Amino acid sequence: MSEIAGKLFSWLNTRLPIVNTFERHLSKHPVPSKVNFWYLFGALASVALIIQIVSGIWLIMPYSNTEEEAFSSIEYIMRDVDYGWVIRYIHTTGASLFFAVVYLHMFRGLLYGSYQKPKELVWIFGCTIYLAMMAEGFLGYVLPYGQMSYWGAQVIISLFGAIPYIGESLELWVRGDYYISGITVSRFFALHVVALPLVLIALVFLHLVALHEVGAGNPEGVDIEEFIDDDGVPLDSVPFFPYKVLNALVGIGVFMTVFAIIMFFFPEGGGYFIEMANFQEANPLVTPDHIAPVWYYAPYFTMLRAVPDPLGGLIVMAAAVAIFFVVPWLDRSKVASIRYKGIYSKIAITLFGVSFLTLGYLGTVGVTEVRKIMSVICTVIYFAYFLLMPIYTKYETTKEVPKRL
Amino acid sequence: MINKLIDLFPFKTFLILVLSFYLVNLYAAEGGPCKDYGECDNFKYSLNDIESLQRGAATYINYCYGCHSLKYSRWGRVAKDLQIPEDIFFENLVFDKSIKPGDLMTGAMSEDSVNWFGVAPPDLTLVSRYKGDDWIYSYLRAYYEDSSKQYGVNNLVYPNTAMPNVLLSLQGNQRLVCKDIPILARNGGEKRDEYGDTITKEKCGFLQVEEGTGELTKEEFDTLIYDLINFLVYVGEPIKATRERIGWYVVFYFLIFTALSSLLYREYHKDYNQ
Repeated sequence: MSEIAGKLFSWLNTRLPIVNTFERHLSKHPVPSKVNFWYLFGALASVALIIQIVSGIWLIMPYSNTEEEAFSSIEYIMRDVDYGWVIRYIHTTGASLFFAVVYLHMFRGLLYGSYQKPKELVWIFGCTIYLAMMAEGFLGYVLPYGQMSYWGAQVIISLFGAIPYIGESLELWVRGDYYISGITVSRFFALHVVALPLVLIALVFLHLVALHEVGAGNPEGVDIEEFIDDDGVPLDSVPFFPYKVLNALVGIGVFMTVFAIIMFFFPEGGGYFIEMANFQEANPLVTPDHIAPVWYYAPYFTMLRAVPDPLGGLIVMAAAVAIFFVVPWLDRSKVASIRYKGIYSKIAITLFGVSFLTLGYLGTVGVTEVRKIMSVICTVIYFAYFLLMPIYTKYETTKEVPKRL
Repeated sequence: MINKLIDLFPFKTFLILVLSFYLVNLYAAEGGPCKDYGECDNFKYSLNDIESLQRGAATYINYCYGCHSLKYSRWGRVAKDLQIPEDIFFENLVFDKSIKPGDLMTGAMSEDSVNWFGVAPPDLTLVSRYKGDDWIYSYLRAYYEDSSKQYGVNNLVYPNTAMPNVLLSLQGNQRLVCKDIPILARNGGEKRDEYGDTITKEKCGFLQVEEGTGELTKEEFDTLIYDLINFLVYVGEPIKATRERIGWYVVFYFLIFTALSSLLYREYHKDYNQ
């Protein structure tokens, strides 16, 4: 029996690079031997992606993408489909936690300079994944066709209208109708379940291929390739399997515990993961008291509101996301990690973190005079972090980076 | 020289300053969802109290279902979840005898409702989820006499509500009254005059039921509303009790998973980190 299996395997292996791929990308792939918890979020993001894809496939089966039935089919899933509520809450909780781990993953990148030469492409693919996720999240939020789905989509799509000359026709083209309707829902459904997941999977694949080409980073910013043994394996590395896998497994355990706590005990996430207004069917005649985006768009929503002119707001918001792409060329520091950068960088990243969280908070609450001023200040800090980076990273005193991990 | 100064920069103090600025500046009081009522009353559901849910269902069907459908919920599911034998349930609570257990609770309202109230009475299957249980619990107890309104009542939680006080005969005649309230001193105690008497100030807007006008006492009425809201919480998410029960097992499973995987990780970690 095992002889036949062996023959079959070698038949396959001579036609498909099974062993080679496994060794190159898993069992022998060298990863830095000393990393901290910040380096877990990439693995967690891929877990979250898989969770979203699998739960999504099961949600498609009972969901109905028509104007009349979209909302009631969600209630059908919640009530009449066996364990439909489990699948749906996995998907809603998963969406928020996916964004949470991706934000932490991106912040890790900024902390430890994970974009520096030669990792520019890894970073750019990552930024593109983030962009695709934002679109994917928005499209998905429209599908339950609740009040917040409807009015959120109304606000976001009307942003296109702020673009000069082509704005109005673009708006109409995206919506497929003069107002948000079943046509919008069904096209968003197609994009949400087929087009963007394909894009996301392709991008994640590229992100990983590029990463495996240049090697993973570490919190010291040490280049582990400089000291290698006779076989060309870096001395400060361990094989991905089993060491890194086991490390990730602990992270996955913690992540899944948090996931389960939210999903079973706080599935609405206090109104941040599923907004209360979204338990009411979309009604074009009644506007909700205040329209707020889901928390993961909140920082950009605040920037949009901080600028009085709609086109200006749109530009600021787009620039806030786009600016991530050029970070590899904004950082002029000799060192990668925040541990060895100077005090300017430390102040800058702290202010950036605080302003980003503040912008996020402001996006979920109503506007007051103080908050308006705060949102302008935080938007300025947000951009200053990036735009002043070439200056403060170049002219600060950095510490000596050790040779080995 | 400048770098020396920068090294002395108190980084942690700076962090604390930034954070406190953040906390102080952002806090701004906003009007609550319960409007003139003030803070909504806190509602704590108890979905394992089947008797409360049964009483709530009976109240709903007798007093509310005539106007408000529960169109995402099915008759048979309610009977099963509330542990009411189907024959008793259909005998006592389902008035239309053509209804089958698998039917949705689509309501008994005629098309004229818009003419009667100005708006169609909304479906209430998910009301506990989009309004919140605290809100409905406060709303149903915040009606007061107001002869300027079409149905002679108004509501503190939802001013100018279109819904008449359906439970008026049970609650009795609730009015807005004024009371003498002690003035609080700066230290939190009551202010007193030179003779030691408490200084008071008249304040209005308190709800008070005229005694003897309702069939129920205040406590009985509050219990009735409690059971009703408890039922609405159930019907908003029928699996809520199950979800919270299963949740413990799942969380426990992942805690064990985390513990075992970290033990395994530590064992393997020794290979390269003596």
